[in-house]
This record gives sequence, structure tokens and C-alpha cells, in this order.
Amino acid sequence: MSLVKRARYHFMKDIGAPAVMRLSGAGRKKGPGRPKPGFGPGLNCAVRLKEIMTRHYFLSRYAEGAKPVAWVTSGAPVEILRPFGFYTIYPENHGALCGAQRLGPELCAEAEAHGYHQDLCSYARIDLGHFLSGKTPVGRLPRPDLLFASNNICQTVVYWYRVLAHQLKIPLLLFDTPYNFEDITENDVAYMVRQLEEMIPVLEEVSGRRFDSRKFQEMTGISRDSSFAWGEVLATMKTRPAPMTIFDAFIHLAPIVSLRGLPVALEYYHILLRELRERIEQGIGAIENERKRLMWDNIAIWYKVRDFSNLFAERGMNFVTATYTNAWAETISLMDADRPFESMARTYSLVVLNNSLDHRLQLMERLIKEYHVDGLVIHSAKSCKPYSVGQYDIKRLLMDRLGIPSVIVDADITDFRAYSEEQTRTRLEAFFETLEG
Amino acid sequence: MSRREYLKNQKQKGRRLIGVFPAHYPREILWAFNSLPAEIWDPPLDIEGANAHLQPYICSVVKLGLELILQGKGDMLDGFLFPHTCDSIQNMASIVYDYLGVGKPCYFFYHPKAPYRPSSRRYYLEQLKSLVSRLERDLGPMDENELRRRVEQGHHLASILREIYDARRRGGLSASNADFYRMIRQGEYLHPDDFIPLLEDFLKASRGGDGKGPGVILSGVLPNPPEILNLLDELGVRVVDDDLLCCGRRIPMHTTMAQDPFEALVDSYFAMPPCTTKDSPLKGRVDYLLEKIAASKAKGVIFYLVKFCEPEWFDVPCMAEAVKEAGAAVLTVDVDLNQGLSGQLTTRIEAFVEMIGRQQEA
Ligand code: SF4
Repeated sequence: MSLVKRARYHFMKDIGAPAVMRLSGAGRKKGPGRPKPGFGPGLNCAVRLKEIMTRHYFLSRYAEGAKPVAWVTSGAPVEILRPFGFYTIYPENHGALCGAQRLGPELCAEAEAHGYHQDLCSYARIDLGHFLSGKTPVGRLPRPDLLFASNNICQTVVYWYRVLAHQLKIPLLLFDTPYNFEDITENDVAYMVRQLEEMIPVLEEVSGRRFDSRKFQEMTGISRDSSFAWGEVLATMKTRPAPMTIFDAFIHLAPIVSLRGLPVALEYYHILLRELRERIEQGIGAIENERKRLMWDNIAIWYKVRDFSNLFAERGMNFVTATYTNAWAETISLMDADRPFESMARTYSLVVLNNSLDHRLQLMERLIKEYHVDGLVIHSAKSCKPYSVGQYDIKRLLMDRLGIPSVIVDADITDFRAYSEEQTRTRLEAFFETLEG
Repeated sequence: MSRREYLKNQKQKGRRLIGVFPAHYPREILWAFNSLPAEIWDPPLDIEGANAHLQPYICSVVKLGLELILQGKGDMLDGFLFPHTCDSIQNMASIVYDYLGVGKPCYFFYHPKAPYRPSSRRYYLEQLKSLVSRLERDLGPMDENELRRRVEQGHHLASILREIYDARRRGGLSASNADFYRMIRQGEYLHPDDFIPLLEDFLKASRGGDGKGPGVILSGVLPNPPEILNLLDELGVRVVDDDLLCCGRRIPMHTTMAQDPFEALVDSYFAMPPCTTKDSPLKGRVDYLLEKIAASKAKGVIFYLVKFCEPEWFDVPCMAEAVKEAGAAVLTVDVDLNQGLSGQLTTRIEAFVEMIGRQQEA
């Protein structure tokens, strides 16, 4: 690592970033402004969230050469990277950000021009498009020294990161989490523990730092506490009226994905939780007139979050839970800072997408009951086969077992070329009728 | 004898039939249980019922496999084995097991991804043993001597396949492209006691080709629609080698008979060519393909891919670029299985062949 770059990084961290944060927060200090029609008052925390994420991406520009940089998949056990001081970038989060700014097709097209098929996951295409063209709405992403992937969410991330590893000629660490068709076995856990042990020398070499097990345990503890806090944030939506919507949660998810294991994420969720609890005490709902409570299945349709949010709020319908947001809280009780490797293996390999569809169905049944859900919106995401294959059966079974009506929206997470406004409207209108009927 | 008749016959002989989905699994273990794996890659069916379970963006290998079950065409089978090959097969297996209730045993086989680490070897060994325990629950105890015998037979089979592939690579095989793959793909359901003699006869009968015509390599999942092979035959093009998941990519590059048959199976698995479904590093795949081009003097590579097949599609741009840099031509094609060749695809293949033909002359 270069001394000059390190000095510049620290200068930016101490002087530059606070200034940028002040700027990004400027004009918003008075709060979220007047509520939009159909909605209750917005969350004050949104300002703080924006500051944190702006700072994260801003500082990342100066991380290259100053700190070891890793690109990490959203489900990878990032705790193991933390004691080595890696600056972590989450291409999936970057993909979501591009998607929300409607830049998906443009960046995907860059990858497609290099031969990456339009049918591939659009997070991957956005990332490869960014990598091949340098285009990004966040200024610049630092080049990684290391890639860290786990197939606990999909095999796709590994195919994608293999391409990056090949192009960049840097190590790819894969945390291979055997898929749980049935129950997890001791062999599975032992295999994952051995993998984590094998990673240490590689991480030491790339970062130039020795492994500090005490620091590792400490950061694992922070990570666990942050996920707990995130779980509590989500649980506030059990209240009627729910103090936030799942569309808020899609946005407030960013720190638990991208900054997991760092104190900033923990602090943030404590602040958010406080605000939500105050709202509950005061009976403030995220939408004005919460008549129906809904569940969302799959990743967000990032370019439609605002439209959907308005469309449902107008009808007094609030999304109060989602399988997606729940994924970062679901297994956290298994994390034990005293047995970090073994508990990490269980925590990360028992997440929803690494379990059978029956497990997912049971989870959804539980969420439907706990959150008093009246209906379900299923996003069939062209990008994401592990999340989408099985949804037709889930839809049918939830209707049979719990009488829960649902609708399937065919779309994609970021590539709006795979989305039809007309078809979606027609389906949603029919769904609204069923719900109201 | 048709595949169906053969399987019926085997069943009458007392063998249990296990329907196996793609791609990597230890077939020697099934043989040792006096069971016969009947692989399910591309059954000739119209897709109807599967569309009620799978979205339009799912590949036809997965759709056809599910269709086979839904149409009851797998009724003769005594169980199913699902290797963990990709996200779509994984979820389809879960649909079958969790939701459809096929009333037959379902076995799952997770092979370690990252096939380059000591932990992977150990885990693979453990997975083999746990598959055996799982099968023993339904099929009774396995005789370890029988396993040893079947592992040796597997080695023998691999060595004949390597010999056939070598002969073809050197231009010393007279069989047409279509006949070659018709023969090789019978290994997807024939018992090795029957398949090995058939292959030996095939090798004897087809030795001595003239090695004329430009050579190409096929890379992808499987040679379907088979019409492409007929077209290449008609155009005088020899397929000199392949990097196909259902064919060459499942032949170990070398085998050693370790004392312990399980260890021998581990060795064989890790001696398989690099493969995307095992997450082999991309460089390994590129180098492997370039070696094949150099050894066979192929003029081009056809990436012959199944539509919506993520594992294959991610690797293609880097592999294609390396092939071009090595001076060979590239044709990339994506197809739905069993759909024949469209006029447009035929034209593209003809244009590609014309181009490599010109290169050959030059
Ligand atoms: S969207 Fe789905 S396929 Fe794409 S990276 Fe995320 S989990 Fe994997």
C-alpha cells in the first residue's frame, strides 16, 4: 500500500468525507418534509442514511492503494475480512443503486456489447458493464485486490466473480455453502469451517496483516448485534399501523448489506429503531390509512420502488414484510462470537436462498401469521433463478393452506427492458379487486 | 433396442433404475448397488405441464426433466438423483421433492464447488460416503468389493473413451459426427457391462478416418438439437474434440487405482476437465480449450449453448476472446433443445464453415 495514498485516504476520511456528508445532508436537516399524499410523515433517519452511504461511496474512491479492497457478495461472511482492514464494496448494492436510478439497461448494454448475454443476472451485467466501461453514478469504484463470494444466495455470483478474477488476475475466495435440500449435516459445517481456515493465509497475504482473532471476535459481535437490530427494525412492522413500509426497508437495508461488521451500521440501526419505536408510541403509520397489509417476495424492482410505493399507499395497502429484507436477520441468532467459524458456517448457510423451497414456504407462512398479512406480491425476477423458480408452486400452496391471495409481477430487478407496465397494471388491478372483494 | 426397451429389460433383470439429472455424480456407486443410472438430459417431449411450475426464462434441460416426471414418463424409475449442478436444477429438485411428492426416493448429491482446495477433496469423499449410507437405507448394504470392481470398470470405460477421443482428435476415426455422439451418448443409460463392449466394437470398426475437412471443437452442454451434427457432416466438417458437459467434460483426464475405492473416486472426480458447474477457475477452462485447439489443429470453436444456461454463458466472452487470439474462429449459438435447426441458424453455421474452410485452404 502506498504511503501517499494512505495519507490521502485519511485526509479524505477526516476532512473530505465529513464535508461531503454535510453537503449531502444540507437542506434536509429539517426532516423529511411534508408527507406525500397517502403517506404518513417520512422517516427522519433517511437523511442520516444518505450521509452514511454517500460517505461510503465517496471514501471508496480513495481506498485503492491505501487499503486492501475487496468486492464482496451480499451473503458472504464478511466478518472474516474485517480484522484485515479491507475496504469492502458490494457490487449487488451498487447494482441496486444503478437500478434505482434507472441506469440498469445502459450499464447492462455495456456488458452485452462484450458478449454477456441479456438473459444473465442484471446485477452481474451492471457490474461487468461498469468494469468494462468505467461508468457508474457513484463517481468511481476502487479496483479490488480480492474477490470474496459465497454461493449461499446463488451460483450466479460465483460465475460472475470468476470472470472478474480472470480479468483482474486477482484471487477469488469462495465460501462454498452446500445447499440444504434436507437438514444441514456436521460434515457440511466442518467443510465450511475448513474453508474459512484455508482463507486466512490468503487474506494475510493480500492485506499484509496478520490475523487478529480477538479483533475478529469483536467484529463478529458487532455484526451479530447489527443484524439483531435490523431484525428488530423489521419487527416494528408487526404493529398496526406499521411505522415503516417494506419499500423503506429496501432502502434502509444498505448498511446491513454493505457495512456489516462495522460500528457505523450498528449505530445507525439503533437510531432507526429508536425513531420507529417513537412512531409506534405516537401511533404514526408509514401510510395514512393502513387497511391491508401485504408481503413482498423476492428482490425489489429497483426502478419501480417509488411508483409501487405510491400505487399501494393510495389504496391504503402497506407492505409490512418481505422474504428479501428478512434474509439479513433470519439466522443471526446462530452467530456466536465465542465459536465464530462454526457459528458463521451455520448462520450463512442456513439463509433462505440456501434452503429448500419447503423451508421458504414455512418461513413465509410464519411471516404471514406474525405480520397479519392479507395478500402477497410475488416478483418473478428474470435475473434471479434461485429466488424465482418455485414461486408458482408457492403461490398455489399459500392459497391452499392459508387462503392468501397473491399476484405475480413479471419483471427484473434492474433491467426494465424485461418489464411491461401494461401487463403489470392489469394484474395488479385484478389483485386489488380480489383483496377488496 | 430403444432406450425405453433397454431400461425395461434391465429392470426385468433385477436392476433398479435411478433417473439422474445432470451432470456430475459417482455412477460407480450406483452400479455397485446393482442400480442403473438413467440420465435425464433432453427427453423428446413437448413441454406442457412444466410451464405451470417454471418461468419462461428457465432452460429447456430443466423444463424437459420436470416434464418427464409430470407426464409420468419416469414411472419405470425407482428413484431420482439430483446432483447440485446449477440454481435451476437445484430449485427444480426442490419442487419435485417438496411440492410434487413423486412417491419415490429422491437423493441429492452436492459436489464441492472450488475444486482446487484440500477441503474440497475431503468434503467430496464425505459426500460419497453419505450418498452410500443414504442409498443403503433403501437398497440394503453395499458390498465394498463390488464398489472396487465397479470403480475399476469405470476406469476402463474412461480409458476407452479417451482412446476414442484421441483417435478422433488425430483424424483417425471414420465415424460421422452424428454417429460419434449417438454412440457416446448411449453411455447416459447403458450399463457399463453393455456399453464397454459396444464402445470397443465401435472403435475397432471406425478406426482409420482420412482426417480431411476442417476441424471444429464443440463447447457447451450437449449436442442437441442433433441436426447440427448432421449439418456439419454434410458440410464436410469434422468435430475433432469437445468441451461438452454431457460428453468430454465428464471423462477423467487420467485415473489411478488407489487402494481405497472411495479415494479412487475422489481422484477421478478431481481429474475431470475444468467445468463451470464445479466453479473451476476460468483460466483453467480457457487453457484447457486452447490445448485442445493446439492438439487437434481445430480451425474453430462452436459454443453451442442451451438458452438461459447461466453457468455456460458467463464463461463464453472470455473463452471466445482467447480462442480468437489463438487464431481460431468462433461461432456462438443458443438453442432450445429438440427444436431442430432454424433456417437462420443453418445459414450462420454454413457461413462459419465457409470461413474456416477458406482458412483451411489458406
Ligand atoms: S439477483 Fe439473484 S442471481 Fe443475481 S446475484 Fe442476486 S441472488 Fe444471485
